[in-house]
Amino acid sequence: MVTNRIDHKWGMVVDLDKCTGCQACVVACQAENNLPINTKDFFLQKRAYEWIRIERYWEGEYPNVKARFIPVLCQHCENAPCEPVCPVYATYRNDDGLNVQIYNRCVGTRYCINNCPYQVRFFNFWQPNWPERLKNQLNPDVTIRTRGITEKCTFCVQRLRRAELQVERVSGERLNDEKLKAGNYAPACTQACPTNALMFGDQNDAESKIRPYFDDVNTFDIHHEEERTTRGYRLLEEINTRPSIIYLKKVDQYPLNEDEDHV
Amino acid sequence: MLPLVLVGLIVTAIVGFIIVVLAISWFSNPPFGLGNAPPQPIAFPHTVHAGSVDQGGVGIQCEFCHRNVTKGEAATVPAVENCLFCHKQINAENQAEDTPVNLAEIQRVVDRFNDNNPIDWERVHRLPDHVRFVHEAHIRFLTQGESRTEILPIGDEQPMQLPLTVGESCSVCHGNVAGMTEVQPQAGQSLKMGTCVDCHKTNNAPTDCTICHK
Repeated sequence: MVTNRIDHKWGMVVDLDKCTGCQACVVACQAENNLPINTKDFFLQKRAYEWIRIERYWEGEYPNVKARFIPVLCQHCENAPCEPVCPVYATYRNDDGLNVQIYNRCVGTRYCINNCPYQVRFFNFWQPNWPERLKNQLNPDVTIRTRGITEKCTFCVQRLRRAELQVERVSGERLNDEKLKAGNYAPACTQACPTNALMFGDQNDAESKIRPYFDDVNTFDIHHEEERTTRGYRLLEEINTRPSIIYLKKVDQYPLNEDEDHV
Repeated sequence: MLPLVLVGLIVTAIVGFIIVVLAISWFSNPPFGLGNAPPQPIAFPHTVHAGSVDQGGVGIQCEFCHRNVTKGEAATVPAVENCLFCHKQINAENQAEDTPVNLAEIQRVVDRFNDNNPIDWERVHRLPDHVRFVHEAHIRFLTQGESRTEILPIGDEQPMQLPLTVGESCSVCHGNVAGMTEVQPQAGQSLKMGTCVDCHKTNNAPTDCTICHK
């Protein structure tokens, strides 16, 4: 089939030096993607839905403690461990470089959840339910996932489709993806981040602002990590899932020193 | 040990139950579940509003009321304010009793506006919740481009001269709505996924799952 589409490879760079752990991305994701409201019960049963979550780590001993935050979302791996285990081909990597989850094809075997090393896939153990006053805030562009299927971060694919329509509408002709640059499209978490810790762009676009980080990490793999010129690294690089998300290490000007009384 | 007849009966009952469940789930799907017009809260005759002037209508364009149809995914039903564009004048206060319009129904629209009470129209064309149909892209396909003849796998599958006007492109899937007193789906219109995918493949449209399922 002839196509006028150019393959994109969307990716994200998370600058941990800028992340303050404010959870704005979590709230934005929750609102954009029609996630059910997490109650205390959900958390206690370890069944809370958070397509993007802030993992918090404590460093040092009291009173010399520092909090470290890592936003973890679906890594949109190139070698995704979740994909080959799906018996119904409900999750696959599409031409936009996204690992997509097709909800109506999913039968809920949960193999993908068990095989995901990042724990970013969630199973709907219950029919999602919202209080009456929140029903009008649901996003009409996103499917409400029913009970018994798996869901995950989609890089807000509904926003990508909307951006494509916008490009078509303005240009007045069939979509030519060269016109669709990173500026047209960003996921809700990136848009909501107050410190611009999340950067979003196209890995195939040479002018994209995330491109240098990907070039650097791709050139020097896990065995040559010390030769990297940027602070970039990937989560669980040693298992070679090749995620589309790169984290930039935190540079601590005042590292914790157990001997000093650092306050 | 059960008698053999009883075992046979039980097996027949189980098999019959499964067949009934499958049949219900198959025939209640969109291509079969459609076909009859649901009762609407206010009798809105498209014949009067969208019908051509020769046939006694007013000849309003589809996209005048369904404003979003060329601008986004959903066609949208108009707000009550849109009705009042005209019905501020055409109503029981300003018209004589013997005018051909149905003043009683119009008064219900005006009442809804005065009470700030939106009209809860019943949806006629249903798709499952996991499918997102984008009106804008399809209308752009049918109304733009050079002159060409195509056979689309929708409606009566006759060769069709493209490009169409916006109003004509609505009728391709929705039938002649301007001639319907009560809107009902076009007979024989398949809403199976195969129909969508066939047309997308022949016309070089994207076939990625997330185009529709997102």
